[in-house]
Amino acid sequence: MKEGLEKFVSEHRDEFDVFEPRPELWQKICPHVPPIEQVKDKKEAKVISFSFGERASFSADMFFMRVAAAIILLLGCGLTLFLMKQNTPEAAYTIAATTEQAKLRKIAPELVEVEAYYTSQIEEKKSQLTEYDLKVLGLDEQQDIDRELARLDSSYTQLKKQLYTTPNTDKVMGAMIQNLQIRIEVLNRQLEVLQRIEKLQKQRTTQPQKDETSNV
Amino acid sequence: METLSYQDVNRHVIDRCREGDNRAQYELYKLYSKAMFNVSMRITNDYAEAEDVLQEAFISAFKNLHSYKAEASFGSWLKKIVVNAAINAVRKRKSELVPLEERTVGDVPDEVYEDETEWQVEKVRRAIQKLPDGYRVVLSLYLLEGYDHAEIGEIMGITESTSKSQYSRAKKKLLEIMREPQFAA
Repeated sequence: MKEGLEKFVSEHRDEFDVFEPRPELWQKICPHVPPIEQVKDKKEAKVISFSFGERASFSADMFFMRVAAAIILLLGCGLTLFLMKQNTPEAAYTIAATTEQAKLRKIAPELVEVEAYYTSQIEEKKSQLTEYDLKVLGLDEQQDIDRELARLDSSYTQLKKQLYTTPNTDKVMGAMIQNLQIRIEVLNRQLEVLQRIEKLQKQRTTQPQKDETSNV
Repeated sequence: METLSYQDVNRHVIDRCREGDNRAQYELYKLYSKAMFNVSMRITNDYAEAEDVLQEAFISAFKNLHSYKAEASFGSWLKKIVVNAAINAVRKRKSELVPLEERTVGDVPDEVYEDETEWQVEKVRRAIQKLPDGYRVVLSLYLLEGYDHAEIGEIMGITESTSKSQYSRAKKKLLEIMREPQFAA
């Protein structure tokens, strides 16, 4: 049993706590007290957990989730852009054309260049032709030429199809080149005709002018 | 039983503190600051130093709250932190807490004069404050903080018997101080 001093102190224990810290001491402690992250992160990172019933569930920390979200967003943007591009017919055409070009390059590499050369020639002639105003020149034949060119064009595409299937590529290629040459020939003839008509018309218009000046 | 119910009362506050709830931390501070400040005051015997100790102890307690297991009451866990911080503070200003000549276990006569009726809390308290550091710390830890000599030995890094003899001398000295005519005045 406690006696004397010990007994007295234990009986009056509470009375011995006479001091009190200054009330503002907490203001000194408060800024040093660790905030939420510091306390929690030591033990566990912030975790998001998903559970789809009992079968499938997974959990991931915040950093992983941020990365995953960014990847999903990028994939989504990429996919929509890709689909939008595919929907435009122009793009589809170029894709088909390039694949065909590649095919052609395999079968007949020289044809690609030949074709390019002739098509550029044909385009040039055609543009020259359009410079003439056919109605003014009093020509309706253009329709016949267009029809002829269209016929040649369709036979050309048929030949091209054959090129992929027939083993005798030389013969088909020859026919194709001939086809292109015919088209240029047709266009050249037409151009010649138009040029001649134009010359005639000019002579007609300049002659009366000369007469007028001589008269005066 | 008493400590168990004591624990239960504060458990939700402690849990909220663990989650970093600043209001809960303040609640806990308010609950314990006065008692802990007096512990610190008795050991350091210096108001400013006792405040520094209290500040340091609370910050360290909040930082290490995750290491607090409910095996002891929160009060005693916190008190241990305060006591250690306070003893460190005293050691800093004075290298030796237990003077060398006191370490030899001598025959310490029991209190000659123990008239309980004359004792007053204020008088005892002031007399304790007048004790030299080594005496005061051991006497306070035993008499007021409720540690036994084995625990005191562990806290202060001395043997149990040294703690016992130190306490006896401290008590003798305390009674002497209280008997001094200028002290009574």
